Amino acid sequence: MYAAVKTAALLGAQGHPLVVEVHVGVGIPGFTVVGLPDESCRESRDRVRAALLSSELPWPNRRITVNLAGAGERKGGAAADLAIAVALLVAQDVLSQESIEAHAFLAELGLDGSLRTVAGAAPMVSAVAMHDVVVSPGNHAEALIASPRQLRAVDTLAHLVRCLRGDDAWPSITQIEEQEDVCVVADLAEVSGQAWARNALEVSATGMHHLLLVGPPGAGKSMLARRLPGILPALTHEDALASAMVFSAAGVESAGALRTSPPFRSPHHSASMVAMVGGGSSYMRPGEVSLASGGVLFLDEMGEFAPTVLDALRQPLEEGVIRLSRARHSLTMPAKFLLVGASNPCPCGDIRPGMCRCTDSDHRRYQRRFSGPLIDRFDLCVHVDRPSADALVHAGGGESTALVAARVLAARNRAVDRQGCPNALLLHDQLDIFAAITTQARALLHAELEKGILTGRGYHRIRRVARTLADLANDNDVDRDHVDIALRMRSALVRPHEAGSYR
Amino acid sequence: MTSDPPEWAYAAALASLPLQTHRRLRLLITRGSPSDVWGKILHHKIVAPSLEPHVLQAWSTASSCLPRQMYERCMTIEAQVVSLHDAAYPSVLRADPDAPAVLFVRGNLDALEQRRVAIIGTRKATQAGRHFAASLGQQLSTLGVAVVSGLARGIDVHAHRGVERASNDGATGKAIAVVASGLDVVYPREHVQLWNWVASHGALISESPPGTSPEAFRFPLRNRILAGISEVVVVVESTEAGGSMITVREAEKRGVTVLAVPGSPTLHTSQGTNALLRDGCAPVTHVDDVLVALGLDTSHQHGFVDQRETPMGLCADVLGQLVGEPRTIDWLAICLGESVFAVAVALGRLEQSGWVTQTSGWWEALVAYSPS
Repeated sequence: MYAAVKTAALLGAQGHPLVVEVHVGVGIPGFTVVGLPDESCRESRDRVRAALLSSELPWPNRRITVNLAGAGERKGGAAADLAIAVALLVAQDVLSQESIEAHAFLAELGLDGSLRTVAGAAPMVSAVAMHDVVVSPGNHAEALIASPRQLRAVDTLAHLVRCLRGDDAWPSITQIEEQEDVCVVADLAEVSGQAWARNALEVSATGMHHLLLVGPPGAGKSMLARRLPGILPALTHEDALASAMVFSAAGVESAGALRTSPPFRSPHHSASMVAMVGGGSSYMRPGEVSLASGGVLFLDEMGEFAPTVLDALRQPLEEGVIRLSRARHSLTMPAKFLLVGASNPCPCGDIRPGMCRCTDSDHRRYQRRFSGPLIDRFDLCVHVDRPSADALVHAGGGESTALVAARVLAARNRAVDRQGCPNALLLHDQLDIFAAITTQARALLHAELEKGILTGRGYHRIRRVARTLADLANDNDVDRDHVDIALRMRSALVRPHEAGSYR
Repeated sequence: MTSDPPEWAYAAALASLPLQTHRRLRLLITRGSPSDVWGKILHHKIVAPSLEPHVLQAWSTASSCLPRQMYERCMTIEAQVVSLHDAAYPSVLRADPDAPAVLFVRGNLDALEQRRVAIIGTRKATQAGRHFAASLGQQLSTLGVAVVSGLARGIDVHAHRGVERASNDGATGKAIAVVASGLDVVYPREHVQLWNWVASHGALISESPPGTSPEAFRFPLRNRILAGISEVVVVVESTEAGGSMITVREAEKRGVTVLAVPGSPTLHTSQGTNALLRDGCAPVTHVDDVLVALGLDTSHQHGFVDQRETPMGLCADVLGQLVGEPRTIDWLAICLGESVFAVAVALGRLEQSGWVTQTSGWWEALVAYSPS
């Protein structure tokens, strides 16, 4: 009257193997789920009962106890439904323990006995990949990402029982071919003018330098940012896998298939802290920083985000992972994203000297919305203006995404061949080895430091950007021109008020 | 009771009466010596028939120790008080129809003996405008001309920063500031250092008694004194409805020469100055223009040489495009047919040698001004 069936549970972007134990014994008829289930997990009792009855399978009118083994950890979600149903069938000798020994089950049950898709199929399947995994047909593409030993996709509980008994053949699985770029990124050629900002995008993509775009409404900040994923080098298999796991765990875009195009996330500025960094429910849903991992996190109207939400980005920006700690568990999720911010220069939006209608105190108040430490983490701060009529007429459409992407890839490869990582990730002590600068360039930086325009952190950031510029120009040495351009690409966010640049 | 406070303390007390205005104060001061008038007010005697009853009512509640308080207050901040009765009262203001009856001064009124040029303009000035004001202030001071301004943000404060710089190099031209608030109420706060510097290297003047806060109506009144003590008023940048235009009107009433610095017609900050030029003001593009208005001989070498490295090649082209109007890198690149990187490098060189500056992506050309 006892059965044990394998399934998996989700925590963050990782699956954990889980054993469902069922005991059917004498006593007052009833159904208890133990092992710290959350609400959706506890409700499985009603779903399982209805599913069994509609599939014309027996339901024991006895005392049923379901234990989600690992009694100390909280479990959430409905993915254990199928395992509970199968365990009940084994406990009633409808199925033999041997027939299910090699299987793990991951699906939610409908009241009609059908198998439903669950969020987080990929990481959960990977946790039980050494078994034959049974999922719903809707999850099969996602589950393939985790490449289990054998994947079975069955549409109803009744069909599953027939297959397990050997009365019916397992439905065949169509292998999904790796799709190239399912989502199409808009082309850079559609952006007319904006030569300076386009170059900044290229530098940003090459060196993984965080980019802040500042400009009046209608200057095309979002338009530019949305074209950034197109010029980023494709994800490595490892990164694509990590990204797919996170997407699956968060339950977004369960289209499945490994994507090599970098993700692009642009949360609205009302996003909460939990939506941004992850956590929240008992199974710790991945946040936007993890979803953007390997790609671009775009914060439009950055000044409108809650300051606490923005400051929460500082730790993942430094470490490339997000560490979440809660009372019961702590976990780490990937957060290796390229941060792109967009902001108006001032409340009135028209920063042009002599045209701005804001007072100095308006500027100061606006500037206070961005914490200094966060602004300091942007390697590039570029001002974008509405293209003038001249620019629209003369410049026409710019270079296409494909052209720029090729240059970015070549320059990125140069950096990776040299030091094993993009330039933005160079450590301080590596700078002199991999990004040595000429005496002239050093003198220039020294002068800027003395004038107090540049901070110590800024100094290193300028050197990394200068290295990227040299890579793009295919120069071995970082010379004064590269440093000069890097300095221009990291201009102050808001105009220097009274202090004046020559004080 | 200790010895009576000096006469000037009574003048200060009259100035700090409730509901006091510059017209009422003038009326009181011209009715007799400050101590006499003070006595009359304390004893509810009729000082002048034109004073309204509610004003007299308010004055009757004034404390009899006000002169003593004012005496101590002025002594603490080392302020001098001069009224129309005093010999020290600036002669240039005596003939003024709307002259302040009592002046509070920190520093030395001798500064008013020099030739005096006011440099005024908007608070929301462009970088280029601020730079021009500083440069003009520096050169005038070097030539021994006193620079008058209002210590407001923007053009005003930069004019005096220029004087400060020149003075550090041994120039003799003084700084004269006319402020709207009391001499111990620094507004805006961030100018406290310059505020004290002016007091020690020229004169800091106000008609408001110590403790007066900078209410909006005091600024137009301040502007009339500013116009009254200047021989020439130079408007560097102003919008058409700016406070500088009040100073200009006050100056025109007094027959003071008004000069304006021309600017691009597309900038808000040049609309006021360009309107002045259209109305017949002489333009200022160089310190010599101001000297001509002062009637000073400009043929002598005043030795102000532009020490900046002469731009060559693309730098020169870029600078040429920047004169007169702010531009973006994209605009410059299209206009000159160069790559944005080449333009960025040129701008870097020009910025390092002090020819240009940028504000949020907009580049402006600067006049010569010797950096420290």
